[in-house]
Amino acid sequence: MSFHTSHRAIVAFAFFGYLALTVLIAILPAVSVQNTPGIPGATPRSELAEQGRAIYLREGCGYCHTQFVRDLPLDRPYGRATVAEDYANEDPPLPGTERTGPDLSNVAARQPSDVWHLLHLYNPCSVVPQSVMPGFPWFFEEKAAAAEGDVTVPVPPRFLSGQGRVVVAGQEARALVAYLLSLRQPALQP
Amino acid sequence: MVQRRTQDPTLRPSTAADPSAVHVAFEYLACATLWLLVGTAAGLIDALKLNWPDFLVVPWLSFGRIRPIHTNTVFWGWSSMALVGLALYVVARTSRVPLWSPTLSRFSLVLWNAAVIAGVLTLGAGVTRGPQEYREWVWPVALTFGSGLVLNGVNAYMTVATRNIPEVYISNWYILGAFCFLTILFTTGYLPFYQHGLGNVVIQGYYMHTAVGMWFSMLSLGIAYYAIPRVLGRPIYSYALGVLGFWTNILFYTLIGAHHFIFSPVPWWLQTTAILFSVGMMVPVWAGGCNLLLTFRGASGVLRRSYAAPFLVAGIVAYVLVSTQGTLEAFRTSNIYWHFTNFTVGHSHFAMYGFVAFVIWGAAYGLVPRLTGAEPNPILVGIHFWLALVGYGIYVVSISIAGILQGFSWVAGEAFIKSVEAAEPMWLWRTVGGVLMVASHLVFIVNLWAMRPRSSLVALPAAPAAEAST
Repeated sequence: MSFHTSHRAIVAFAFFGYLALTVLIAILPAVSVQNTPGIPGATPRSELAEQGRAIYLREGCGYCHTQFVRDLPLDRPYGRATVAEDYANEDPPLPGTERTGPDLSNVAARQPSDVWHLLHLYNPCSVVPQSVMPGFPWFFEEKAAAAEGDVTVPVPPRFLSGQGRVVVAGQEARALVAYLLSLRQPALQP
Repeated sequence: MVQRRTQDPTLRPSTAADPSAVHVAFEYLACATLWLLVGTAAGLIDALKLNWPDFLVVPWLSFGRIRPIHTNTVFWGWSSMALVGLALYVVARTSRVPLWSPTLSRFSLVLWNAAVIAGVLTLGAGVTRGPQEYREWVWPVALTFGSGLVLNGVNAYMTVATRNIPEVYISNWYILGAFCFLTILFTTGYLPFYQHGLGNVVIQGYYMHTAVGMWFSMLSLGIAYYAIPRVLGRPIYSYALGVLGFWTNILFYTLIGAHHFIFSPVPWWLQTTAILFSVGMMVPVWAGGCNLLLTFRGASGVLRRSYAAPFLVAGIVAYVLVSTQGTLEAFRTSNIYWHFTNFTVGHSHFAMYGFVAFVIWGAAYGLVPRLTGAEPNPILVGIHFWLALVGYGIYVVSISIAGILQGFSWVAGEAFIKSVEAAEPMWLWRTVGGVLMVASHLVFIVNLWAMRPRSSLVALPAAPAAEAST
């Protein structure tokens, strides 16, 4: 049998060779790490924050924001280095490959204000003038007056379409902010 | 000068061309080109949004939804359809038989178009598996695409199995291999049993990396191993180097996906293995790239006059350069400066455009007129070439500079927004490059239409002509 004249040999070697390498380099390592337990004492996400995570996935936030801090000096502003335990209950985990915006692993510690996050989601330039992040104004409602129980957002007038109107955070905005405020790295046991 | 260029000297009508394979190949190329327009329009929208964030503030056009539409449409719509269309032709041609079942491939094309349409609509609606690159499609969409993949693989395999010559030409090694690899890769990427927590990250590195190297690169090389000798009318420089490249590519490329997660909690040995074999990739890359380029040695006359050859040369040169760049990016030290930056975006466009798209165009211009007897206007082909080359040159250079500026800003410990401000002028240049690229695609559509098979296309009697495969 020669490879040059046997399509069966070529395809069989390529198929099973690649399959074997896949098992060795991807599937077995994945199996060995997938059941890493979470960090003891870490607070589970609330129902609202869980909804917020689904919106975070839906809107593709993870294309520009990593949740993956490396043990490198340039990553120190974002928190401690990410460990396997941080991804334990994340399906899927969101390490990301690009930082067009900053890492969010520990954003709640860095920016704990819900008002800031609401303003930032409504129009990022209202809090960071140079920002290139997309706004999500459709998560909010502009009204003549706030009703009982409304979460109003103090948007500066120049970002509003009409005078004397108030911006009220919708369900999606509140959920997304709840998720962002849940992004706080739990302390590791020494 | 113009007169001389109006007839490609390499263009001899193909004997024994199977008309059904020609029609199938053209149908794939035509659908692919429509997806090229959709995919690059999406890319351009996202590029403009980084220049002007207030541009098109609509839910289904927001940056995070358009980005996966761009990547998945150019991956599975444009590149895959175009490569497979050409591959089916190459398989039939080098086996000296008609395509085993044109109907099967036509049916697969329907499945693939359905998958890409559904992919665009679902991602636009926010129905996604999250930012897991190139496997964002929800499983029904992926399964539709996967079914078409397997059917096309069967068709290619059966065509080679019924071949009329003893040898399996080297192109078919790469092409049949690619169908096996993507089938395994897709299945591995979508099965959930080992993808909890960090397991998902391990699979993601493997998946997104080998999708490029074991599918797009393999098909592009397989097609180049046919198209280059065919256009030049001379055999490949070294058949043995092609075989060496095939096996070493399988061995090395498969093992290096983890280099996308250097310094991550992914096991350290896995990261180190990935870096080591990224260096090993220099073997198949330089063996394969030089082999193809050496085939051009002494053929400068053809290169000057053929309109297909410049695309093929540019594509193979980009293959060698971008793969070498990839090796350099894998090291831990370079990762500190380059990882997470726009440098990666430059790298992926260099690969998928500079290499893959140029090989597709070179093969299309080199093979399709030979089959249909209808040539495009050489001036327009030249305009396509230069718009695409200059466009992506500006794109890759500017976005790579943006990445370097971002990396240096972060290492210097500046506030994050400084890295955004540093990249902004380069993002404007990137858009300029992108506009030229899109313009070149419009020219390609005109040229593709000019090359279309006319209904009078019939099989010529088989003649014992010297083929690239002998």
